[in-house]
Amino acid sequence: MSATAAPQLELRSVTKRFGGVAAVDGVTFEVREGEIVGIIGPNGAGKTTLLNCISGIHRLDGGDIRWRGDSISGMPPHRIARLGIGRTFQIVRPFGSMTVRENAAVGALFGSADARRRPREAFELADHVLELVGLEAKARHPVSALTIPDRKRLEVARAVATRPRLLLLDEVMAGLNNVEIDAALEMVETVHATGVTVLLIEHVMRVIVGVCRRAIVLDFGQVLAEGEPESVLRDERVIQAYLGERYAKRRHTDPGRDGP
Amino acid sequence: MADFVQLVVLGLLAGGIYVAVGVGFGLVWGVLNIVNLTHGALVIVGGYITWMLFAGLHLDPFLSLPVDAVALFLLGYTLQRGVINRIIRAPLLFTFLLTFGLNLVIVNTLLLLFGSDFRSVTPAYSGQGLELGTIVIPYVPLTALGVAIMLAVVLGLVLNRTRIGLAINAIASDRDAAQLVGIDLRHLYAMTYGIGAACAGVAGGLIAMIQAITPTAGEPYTLQAFVVVILGGLGRVSATVAGGLLFGLVEAFGQSIPGSGSVFANAIAFGLMVIVLVTRPQGLMGRLR
Amino acid sequence: MFLILGGILVAYALLAPLTSLEAAQSANVPLLADRLWFRIATYIAMFIVLASAWNIIGGIAGYAAFGNVAFFGIGAYTTGMLIAKAKWPFLAALPLAPVVAAAFAAVVGLPLLRLRGHYFAVASLGVGVAVGELVQNIDYAGQPVFGGATGLFLPIYSIENRGLFFFYLMVLAAALAVAVTWLVLRSRFGYGLIAIRENEEAAAVIGVNTTAYKVAAFTLAAALTGLTGGIFSQWNVFINQDNTFPIEYNVQMILMALLGGTGTVFGPAAGAVLLQLLIQFLGGTLPISFEIPFVSENARPIVAQVILGVLLVVVVLFVPRGVIEFFGGRARFSLAYLRRSLRETSL
Repeated sequence: MSATAAPQLELRSVTKRFGGVAAVDGVTFEVREGEIVGIIGPNGAGKTTLLNCISGIHRLDGGDIRWRGDSISGMPPHRIARLGIGRTFQIVRPFGSMTVRENAAVGALFGSADARRRPREAFELADHVLELVGLEAKARHPVSALTIPDRKRLEVARAVATRPRLLLLDEVMAGLNNVEIDAALEMVETVHATGVTVLLIEHVMRVIVGVCRRAIVLDFGQVLAEGEPESVLRDERVIQAYLGERYAKRRHTDPGRDGP
Repeated sequence: MADFVQLVVLGLLAGGIYVAVGVGFGLVWGVLNIVNLTHGALVIVGGYITWMLFAGLHLDPFLSLPVDAVALFLLGYTLQRGVINRIIRAPLLFTFLLTFGLNLVIVNTLLLLFGSDFRSVTPAYSGQGLELGTIVIPYVPLTALGVAIMLAVVLGLVLNRTRIGLAINAIASDRDAAQLVGIDLRHLYAMTYGIGAACAGVAGGLIAMIQAITPTAGEPYTLQAFVVVILGGLGRVSATVAGGLLFGLVEAFGQSIPGSGSVFANAIAFGLMVIVLVTRPQGLMGRLR
Repeated sequence: MFLILGGILVAYALLAPLTSLEAAQSANVPLLADRLWFRIATYIAMFIVLASAWNIIGGIAGYAAFGNVAFFGIGAYTTGMLIAKAKWPFLAALPLAPVVAAAFAAVVGLPLLRLRGHYFAVASLGVGVAVGELVQNIDYAGQPVFGGATGLFLPIYSIENRGLFFFYLMVLAAALAVAVTWLVLRSRFGYGLIAIRENEEAAAVIGVNTTAYKVAAFTLAAALTGLTGGIFSQWNVFINQDNTFPIEYNVQMILMALLGGTGTVFGPAAGAVLLQLLIQFLGGTLPISFEIPFVSENARPIVAQVILGVLLVVVVLFVPRGVIEFFGGRARFSLAYLRRSLRETSL
C-alpha cells in the first residue's frame, strides 16, 4: 500500500435526498486499497443510505463516487458488482429456496469480473468460501434452517463469493452476542487478509476499535469526524451526537469518567 | 363546440359508473392488498338483484340500491371470512388466482340460474333526458352519476369519521401494529371486503339501469376498475373519483375517433394504463405504493 | 416406482398412435388409439408447452405474467398469415412464429418488466387482451388485415396421416419445452432467474443484470408459446380471435404450472396433463361420457367452468406447491399436509 497511490474508493460531496430531507448530505471521504474503514454514527445518520448510494441502489442527487479513478455514480447495481464492489444487507436477504451452498454459488456465478464461473466451478468456489466463513458443515442445509448468526455468515459468504475488491458490510454484528461477535470479527479479518478492502457500518464499538484503522462518523447525513477509532470516539462532537448534549456536559464536569 | 360539450357530458356520465365500480375495488386493494378479480362478478350480482326486484316487484331501481348494498356486503363478508382470508399471507399470485376462481364460480352460477339472455331494467323515465339546447343529458345516467358521487362521499366519511373506518385505516398503514392494539384482523378484513362488495353491488344496480346485463357483462369492469384506480392513484377515495371521471372522458373521446375508434376502446384503456404505470405509477393523486 | 409408471404411460402415449397407421393395421396390430385420442393428446402436448413456457417467466423468474396467450396468438397469426396470404410453405412459415413472438416480447417486456407484482400481472393481462382485440380489428384500406371477425382460413396441409404428423410435431414442441426448462434450471441463467425471484435487489448487487435476465426469460417463454401457436394455426386450419387469444388459456396455463409445481422441470407438464384431461372430461369431448344429474347438455360446459373455478380455489388453498411434490417423495398427500398448507397462508 503506497501512500501516494490514488484512493480505491472516493466519495465527493455525495448527496441523497428523500422528499425534502437529505439523508446523505455532502459526504466526502476516501478509502485506500486494503484498508478496513468503519462508518459509525447514531441511528438515522444515513449510514445505510450511504452504502446504498455506493452500491448503486440509490441514484445520487449530488456529488460523485469514484472507483479506482472512474465515476460510478448512476451505474446500475449489477455493473457496480461487476466492477468488484460487494455488499451485505443489514436485514439479511438470502435466496430462500436454495441451500446454503447454492446461495454462495450464485455469488460466484455472477459478481465481479474475477468470478463469473460456470456452475461447476462456482460450486467449488462456494465450498471454499463457506470454509472461510465457517459454514462448510451446513453447506447442504436449506437456508430456513439457519440461525441468525449463520445467516449473517451466509450473507457475507455470498458477497465474498463474488470476488470483490471492496466489501461493504452493513451491521454484520447486529443482534449477535459477545461470543458470536468474536467469531464474526475473526471472519471479517480472515476475509480482509485475502486482500479485500473492507468498509463496514457498525454500532458495536468493540468491532470498530478492534479491527478498523480508521473510522468515519456520520451524523444527520454529514461527516462529523474522521480518524483513528480511539481518538474519534473521544471527540466531543461525536459523544454529543451519540449521547446528547447533557452527557457531554456531564463528562466535562466529571473528568474521572472516560470513554463511552 | 356543442359536440365537444356533449362528449364531455357523456364522458362524465360514463365516469360516474366507473367511479362506482372503482371505489370498492380500490378500497380492497388499498387496504387488503388484494387485486380482487371477483369484483366484476360482484358488480353483476348487484345488477341481477336490481333486475329481479324490478321485474318481480316493480321496485324502482334506485330504491333497490340499498338492497344491493346490503346483500353484497353479506356476500362479500362471507367470502372474505370464509375463503379469501385463508390465502392472505401467500404471494399475491395466489390471491389473484383464488379471486379469479371465485369469479368463475359466481359468473357461471349466474349463467346457470339466469341463462345468458340479456336483461334490462327500464323504468318509465329511462329514455328521457334534460335538454339544454342541442345537448342532451339523459336522466338515468345523470342520477347514476349523482349516486356514484354520493357513494364515494359516504365511503370517504365512513373511512375517516367512524370507528370502523379508523380501524380500516390502521390496518392499511400497518397490519401487525393494528393487531397489537387489539383489532380483530379476520373480522376487519371481512368488513373491508364486505364494504367493497357493497359498493360493487351499488355499481351493479346502476349499471343495470344503463345497459342490458348478462352474467359475463361484469368481466370488463374488473379490468376497468383496475385502470381507474391506477389512473387516479391508490390511497384515497377522491383519487378514485378523479380516476373514474377521467377514464370516462378518455373513453368518450376515444370512441369518437373517426374510423373504428370504438372498437379499440379496450386497447386504449390498457394502453393508457400501461403508460401511466410506466411513467407515473402513483397516478394523478395517489401515494406511491 | 413412479418413474417406471410414468415411463410406461409416456411410452404408450407416444407409440399408441402409430398403431392406427395403414401399415400397422394391415399387419393386424391391435388399434391402441384412435383419431379422437390424437386430437386430445395433441392438445395435451400443446398445453405442456404453454405451461412450461409460462413456468420460465412465472415460476422460475417469479414474474407472474397473465397475458401469455398473446404470444400464442401472435405465433398463430404469423404462421397463418404467411401461409394464407403470402403462400409460404408450412415448414418455412413455422420458424417465424417463435421469432415474431419473441421480438414482440422483447419490445413489450422492457417497460412491462419494470413493474412489480400486481401491476405487472394486470399490465400483462391488459397487453394480452389488447393484442387480441387489435389483431381482430385492425383495418387497412377498409379491409381487416388479419381476417377480422371472420377469421383466417389456411389451406389444408397435405400430408399422409395428418393427425399423426401434427401430434408428433406438438410432442416435439413439448419435449423441447421441457428440455429447455431443464437446461435453464441447471444453468447460470436459471440461477440468476431464481435469485431474481427470491430477492431481486440482492440479485442485483451480486451482479445479476436483472433487466436483461427478466426480458430474456420473458422472450424465451414467448418464443416457445409462439411456436405452439404456429403449429396450431396449420393444424386447426382456421384461426380467429376466439381460438387464438382465448383468455381462459392464460388461467389454464398458470393453473397447470401451479397444480404441477411452479419452478420445477416436470411440474407444469404433469399439471398440463392432469388439467387438460379434466377439462376435456368435463367438457364432454372425451370418449368417456357421463351424466351429471339435474344438468342438461347445454349446461354442461357451464358446470365444467364452475368445477374449474372450484378446483382453482382448492388448489390455491391446499396444494400451492403443486402435486409434483408427491411424486418426488418430498411430501405425502394427507389431511395433515392439506391442513398445513392452509395454515401457512391463512390470516
